[in-house]
Amino acid sequence: MAFTPYDWQQTLRQKADYVEDRLREGSPVVGLSCHEGIVLVTVRRAQQQKIFEIYDRLAFAGLGNQSDVETIRQIAVDFAHAEGFARSPQDVSIQRVVGVALSPAMKRSFSDPLRLPLVVRGLFAQLGDAPESDLFYLLNYDGEFSLAHRCGVAAGTEGAREAMERVLVAFAQKTPKRDAALKKALEAWAVGRREALAATESDWHAVLSEALETGTVEAALLERDSRRERRLRFLSPEELKPCLPD
Amino acid sequence: MSEQLGATHGDFAKLLEAHGVRFLEASPSPSLSAGGAHGTTVIAVKFDKGVLNVADRRATAGNAIFYEEAEKILKLDDETLIAIAGSYAAAFEAVRFLQHSLKYYARSQLQEMSLEGKLSEVSRVLSRALPGALQGIGGFLPIVSAYDRTKNEGRIFFYDVLGARFESREFGAAGSGAERIRGSFEYIVRTKGPFHTMTLEEALHETLLLLEIAASLDTATGGIRHSLPLAKTVTAEGIADVPQEMLRSIQKAVLNE
Repeated sequence: MAFTPYDWQQTLRQKADYVEDRLREGSPVVGLSCHEGIVLVTVRRAQQQKIFEIYDRLAFAGLGNQSDVETIRQIAVDFAHAEGFARSPQDVSIQRVVGVALSPAMKRSFSDPLRLPLVVRGLFAQLGDAPESDLFYLLNYDGEFSLAHRCGVAAGTEGAREAMERVLVAFAQKTPKRDAALKKALEAWAVGRREALAATESDWHAVLSEALETGTVEAALLERDSRRERRLRFLSPEELKPCLPD
Repeated sequence: MSEQLGATHGDFAKLLEAHGVRFLEASPSPSLSAGGAHGTTVIAVKFDKGVLNVADRRATAGNAIFYEEAEKILKLDDETLIAIAGSYAAAFEAVRFLQHSLKYYARSQLQEMSLEGKLSEVSRVLSRALPGALQGIGGFLPIVSAYDRTKNEGRIFFYDVLGARFESREFGAAGSGAERIRGSFEYIVRTKGPFHTMTLEEALHETLLLLEIAASLDTATGGIRHSLPLAKTVTAEGIADVPQEMLRSIQKAVLNE
C-alpha cells in the first residue's frame, strides 16, 4: 500500500482530531510553585491516580487514557532511575526525561501511520532549591513540549490551558504559601474545566463544587525542605479541607 | 513505544541490564587485591524506641590508614539503615544499587517494597558480589536495621558473605573489630539487661565503650578518641542522626571512665 504525502497529512490530522476529542473531557492538572515546594493538583473521578513521583525531585501528572498515562510514567521512571544510577541523581533532570527519553519516542509513535496515537497530555515538574528555579514541562501527545517557570498546566483544550495560565501566572510570581497555592490551583482547575467543556456556569466555585460531588481532589506537594528521601507527599483530607469550597 | 513497558516488573537489576549498565562485577585481575579501602567495626543495638547504629570512621588499605572520615552507616530509605564493613568499594556500590532499587520499585509499582522484600534484595546483592568476595577483593558484610511498623519495633538483620540472612534479637556487629568484642554484647545483656529496654543515652554509652574497646584490640578500628563516631537511629519517626552534643557528652564520659 503506497502512502502519498496527502495520505500522510490526512492521517496525522485524523490522529490529532482523535486525540483532541478524547482529551477535551479530561480533568486538567495544575502545578504551582510555592514557598514549601511545588503543589500538584487535579480532581479525579475514578480511583486511578493522576499524580506520580518520577524521581527524587521530579513529578508527573497527566490526563488522557489511563493506560497511555501509565506508558509515559513507566518510561520516565525507568529512564530516570537508570540514568541516576549510571551517573548520579543530580544528572537526572526534567529536561532529559522529557526532551531525551520521551519526546522523540512519542513523536516517532505519533508519526507512524500504522500505530494508534497515545491519548495523553502530561505535566512534568522539577523541584528547584528555590521557587525561581522550579521547572515545568508540558508534554503533548505528538511529542511536542514546552517549558514554563513557577507554574504549569495540562488541560483538555488549548483555550482551557490559556484560561488556566491567566489565573496562575501573576499569582505564581508572589511565591505563595502552600494553602494559598492550593486554593489558586483549584480555581485554575475549575476555570480550565469550565472552558474545556464550554460550561454555561460562570462561577468557578460552582464548577468545582459540582465536580467534587462525583470526584475527589488529588493533591501532592514536592517538598523543598524535607529530610525524607522521597519528597513527593500526598496531602491528607485534613490538609485539603481548608482549601476546598464549603 | 510500549514494547518494554512493564518488562522489569519493578526489578531494578533487570532495568540496568536492559540499559546496558553494569554493576557489582568482580575484576578478573588479582592484582587489585593489593589496593582498595576496607571499613571496619559497625554496631547495631536495639533501644527502647528503635535501633541505634554506631560505627567508627576509619578506612584502611592493608596496614595503612586510608581515611578517617568514612561513612559506614547509610540510609537505604526513610525507614531502613544499612551499616557496612568490608570492601568499601563493593559495599558502596551495593548500597547505591539498593537505594535506587527500593525507590525504583516504589515509584514504578506504586507501592512500597515490604521489609521482607528489602531484606531479600540485600541477599541478592550479596550473591551478586560473591565472585569479588571469593577473589578477596569485594567482600563486605552489612547489618540492616529497620523499624517494623507491623510489629512496632526495631529489628536487626545480619548476613553472611553468601547472602544468608539472620535476625538478631538485641544486637549485631560486623568487621574485624567486631570479632574482638562479640562476647561483650552478651555480657552486657546478661548483667545490665537487654538493649531494647535501654534509653538512647544508655545504649549509646554501651556502644561507644564497645567501639573504643574494639579499637584497642584491632588496628583497623578507629575508635572514638580521635574522631567522633557515626551514630544514627531508626525509629517510628524515621531515621535521624544522634545529636552531636549528646554524642560528644557521652564520648567524653566514656573516655574519662
